[in-house]
Amino acid sequence: MTAAVKVKGARRTGVDWFLLFLRVLLIGLIAIGLLAFIAQQIDPNNWFARLTHDGEAASRLSWPQFRGLIVTGLSQGAMYGLIALGYSMVYGVLGFINFAHGEVFMVGAFTGFIMSNKFDEAGWWDGPIFIPVILITILVSTLVATATAVIMERVAYRPLRGSPRLIPLITSIGVSFFIQNAVILLFGPGAKGYPPNPDWLEETIPVVGIEVKKLLVIVVAAISMAGLWYFVERTKTGKAMRAVAEDKEIASLMGIDVNKTIVTTFAVGGAMAGIAGILWGILFKSVIATTGFLPGIKAFTAAVVGGVGNLGGAMAGGVSLGSAEALAPLMLLEPLGVEGPSQLRDAVVFTLLILVLLVKPTGLFGERLSSEDRA
Amino acid sequence: MKKFLTILAMFASLALIAAACGSTLDEAAETATDAAGDAADAVDEAMEDDEAMEDDEAMEDDEAMEDDEAMEDGDAMAEHLGDGSLGTVIVEDGAEVQIRSLNAISGDVAFLGLPNQRGVEQAVVDYGDIKGFSVTSGEGLDDLCSADGGQAAAQQIVADEQIVGIIGTSCSGAATAAAPLISDAGMVMISGSNTSPALTSDQQGNAGPDWRVGYYRTAHNDLFQGAAMAEFVFNELGLTSAAAIHDGDPYTNGLADAFANAFSELGGEVTSVTGVAKEDTDMVPVLTEVAAGSPQALFFPIFQPAGDFVADQAGGVAGLEDTVLLAADGLLNDGFMGLEQSVGIHFSGPDTRFGTNTNQSTGVSAEDFLATYEANNGSAPEAPFWGHSYDATALLLDAIDAASWVDGDGNLNIDRQGVRDHLNSVRGYEGLIGTINCDDFGDCGSQKITIIEHLDAADIPASQANVVFEYAPQ
Amino acid sequence: MSNATKTPILEFRNINTHYGAVHILKDVNLAIYPGEMVCLLGGNASGKSTTLKTLLGMVTPTTGEVVLDGEVVNDKPTSYRVERGITMVPENRRLFKRLSVGENLQLGAYLRNDKDGIKNDLERIYDMFPRVKERLTQKAGTLSGGEQQMVAMGRALMASPRVLLMDEPSMGLAPALVQTNFELIQQIHEEGIAIFMVEQNANMALSIADRGWVLQTGKVVLDDTADALLQNPDLRKSYLGEA
Repeated sequence: MTAAVKVKGARRTGVDWFLLFLRVLLIGLIAIGLLAFIAQQIDPNNWFARLTHDGEAASRLSWPQFRGLIVTGLSQGAMYGLIALGYSMVYGVLGFINFAHGEVFMVGAFTGFIMSNKFDEAGWWDGPIFIPVILITILVSTLVATATAVIMERVAYRPLRGSPRLIPLITSIGVSFFIQNAVILLFGPGAKGYPPNPDWLEETIPVVGIEVKKLLVIVVAAISMAGLWYFVERTKTGKAMRAVAEDKEIASLMGIDVNKTIVTTFAVGGAMAGIAGILWGILFKSVIATTGFLPGIKAFTAAVVGGVGNLGGAMAGGVSLGSAEALAPLMLLEPLGVEGPSQLRDAVVFTLLILVLLVKPTGLFGERLSSEDRA
Repeated sequence: MKKFLTILAMFASLALIAAACGSTLDEAAETATDAAGDAADAVDEAMEDDEAMEDDEAMEDDEAMEDDEAMEDGDAMAEHLGDGSLGTVIVEDGAEVQIRSLNAISGDVAFLGLPNQRGVEQAVVDYGDIKGFSVTSGEGLDDLCSADGGQAAAQQIVADEQIVGIIGTSCSGAATAAAPLISDAGMVMISGSNTSPALTSDQQGNAGPDWRVGYYRTAHNDLFQGAAMAEFVFNELGLTSAAAIHDGDPYTNGLADAFANAFSELGGEVTSVTGVAKEDTDMVPVLTEVAAGSPQALFFPIFQPAGDFVADQAGGVAGLEDTVLLAADGLLNDGFMGLEQSVGIHFSGPDTRFGTNTNQSTGVSAEDFLATYEANNGSAPEAPFWGHSYDATALLLDAIDAASWVDGDGNLNIDRQGVRDHLNSVRGYEGLIGTINCDDFGDCGSQKITIIEHLDAADIPASQANVVFEYAPQ
Repeated sequence: MSNATKTPILEFRNINTHYGAVHILKDVNLAIYPGEMVCLLGGNASGKSTTLKTLLGMVTPTTGEVVLDGEVVNDKPTSYRVERGITMVPENRRLFKRLSVGENLQLGAYLRNDKDGIKNDLERIYDMFPRVKERLTQKAGTLSGGEQQMVAMGRALMASPRVLLMDEPSMGLAPALVQTNFELIQQIHEEGIAIFMVEQNANMALSIADRGWVLQTGKVVLDDTADALLQNPDLRKSYLGEA
């Protein structure tokens, strides 16, 4: 796109007006929805609530219910964030979106399914040694997901290095189908269940009202993200990775092995997706060959919302996306009288994407990239 | 970079528009209950109709008719059903009468379609000849459980003018596409497992949007299942408030609405009827929405995997801790019932306790059928609609018998209108599934719905036999 | 200088390179000896950048040999050559703009493992460029052009090179800074590091260099001492702006 060089006082075109209208519309709807929500929390029988609920009073959310939404949004968002990191890192280094990244996540979840059931057969899953067992499961899932990502890079993307960016993008869609179908071939098309979690994992922590398993998801995700942050920001390899992302030629001039660094990038992204996969399994106890698709798309959206190529942005994007997804149906759509608001969660996600791109095209934390960095 | 973001934004807008349109359609479908096929859409059974029962007396009696035919054996030309308005199928001396089975026999739903097809094949064998002409169901056709599959198969069928009628489809979505073609060709179709109200009527005398005159079914109309669940919750459990969750699919949408309507007619309070997206895994938002109305019962007639997540997560949502969970036949399968979280849930579904019920045309009982089935196929059927398909086949063959005569050249003449006339007049027919009565819109099914309470994930047959409520509208 | 008695650190022997069907460098012979300062002059598209890239292994010659300390290194990667003491300050500096100044310097020492040596070199660079030390935590992209030049040189020095290649060091700098820049280069040279400079500003380059080559459409057309080149009438005409 030719950079939009706007001359001061230049006439607005129809498209500009339309975009402005869209911005005002979306922000307006959000504002009205939020106000309506607050109003019906104060008085479920206010005139606006009656208007949007066919003349009847709206329902009020209790604090535990509201808290439940926040916790579920955070845990879901933490997983999106973990997956989004992989999209963002690969985009940063190679400049293309690896659409097969969602499948890496799915492979992690599948490995977790196999491991957990093996442990369950041995009677270890729901036993006193659950903690070491779950750690081993996380480790193995992470390793398998990492291996998947690395093999993917070696087999599918490296041969395409240097070709136009569209080529690896299309290849990644093909890789995605390949992995999905390979899993179907190996394990069948049906849903695969994780064994039931130990009871204490299903409990709710009294005062704070958080389910233990969701807390576990949030904590593990936070530790992983912190670990990744440390790796990228503080270690030599991490610095090399950032250098490669910015300028491969000069990075190699520093003596950095660019290929090795790219493999490391895929591996680290894969590891994060693998961790997300096993957390997903613990939270939802079910995985099928297509499990990676929707979370993958949403994580990708999270990466864009946060600013592609920006790791902090990917995490923040994931958490805000997950929270928006959990909260928006009841805090924005339901007060506006939308029926079956939860069915529109995906629409919420993509509206958020549009809104962010309209207001800040580089994403929430994205930096404007100069033309010498990116074509 | 900017270009990339622009494309992305366009993509996202399209997705948004698609999502918005999709939901509008869903809302429209809530009342129209248009039939998009789903495997478990078919996992329902047949119901009897009040009005049809009342009409019964005014109509001529089945057995009387049979007597008629027996008497007029000599000069059959004058004494067959039908006025010839849809033409005649002439089966030459020595040729076979052609009917077809059209069921979902491949893919994920083969567990449903295969027993249906085998039910058809066994019924043809058990029934024997019609006026000295043998009957064949030919090679079993596949409806692929989709509109496309139903349409393609129907085109193939109507191209063969020797075919009198078909038994199928397995899935309502396939039927929606197949019924117009079959009906326009003068043929009939009798389904053993379609349950969408859109294919027949709303049980208030209004034809469904997808109803066609040549369409019949021995499976129940979902409106009865909703009513059965409502009665159970209100009268049996004594609960006065309830909510329902559908997944946007016409089957689940129709069933959730049927339940809600029946429940409020009984005097109960429906706190909400809402939807989830089929691919959703995190059900906390939708469950919280439901919880805001504090219902005592929650009916979620959806499928796996969404059903798994609802069952698993409901207990963790504030306000739903003590809510009674209710599911329908879409989840009445080993996959769901094998999960720990499904224990304690009540399921509505067809009454499949066929026991010693006997089909009046073939004299074969359900027990005999199962023995033969196991002998032929090595295992028991995985879905219960073999009985409905068997009875459907016997009904079709009875109708062919009633609408046909052997002419001077020794050829069998079958009046297509006569076949429909016979089916329209079926009352009090005893089949494997119970008593069959056809109403004006092709709903012929036996009417029993049972509700079971699931007790043990490790012993699913015991739970399936644990009937806590029976429903049969009179 | 008694070049005859020393082995060159870096040498081109009859190098030919192609970009697709285009013949870029044609039978180029060069030699850089320890501790000297040489410059390569030439107009646009004369093959100067290709020469640098070939020296560093980013471009592989079609025929001929790149020799490093007497070893033919045609098929060795850039990192191998960097490890053996060759490094470059690229044209336009090309700092990692989103990384901090400190990180840029650390990456310069990417291949080194001698912690003490790295620490010493850092101190040396801080002494040489006190402004760099002040801006250590700042992102490199936020620095001024002159500061960026310092960081770029510091980054190159962190590799503890024996030969420093400089691609157009005065390009893009304000005129006032050009002089300072050449003073810096001399300062580095005085520490015993050989400098191979590719420069359009021939006057300036030749005034500090020992020797020079002139490259024209991929061929070395002149190869002489800096003083001789400065006196060369052809060169004066085409590069030194004298009619």
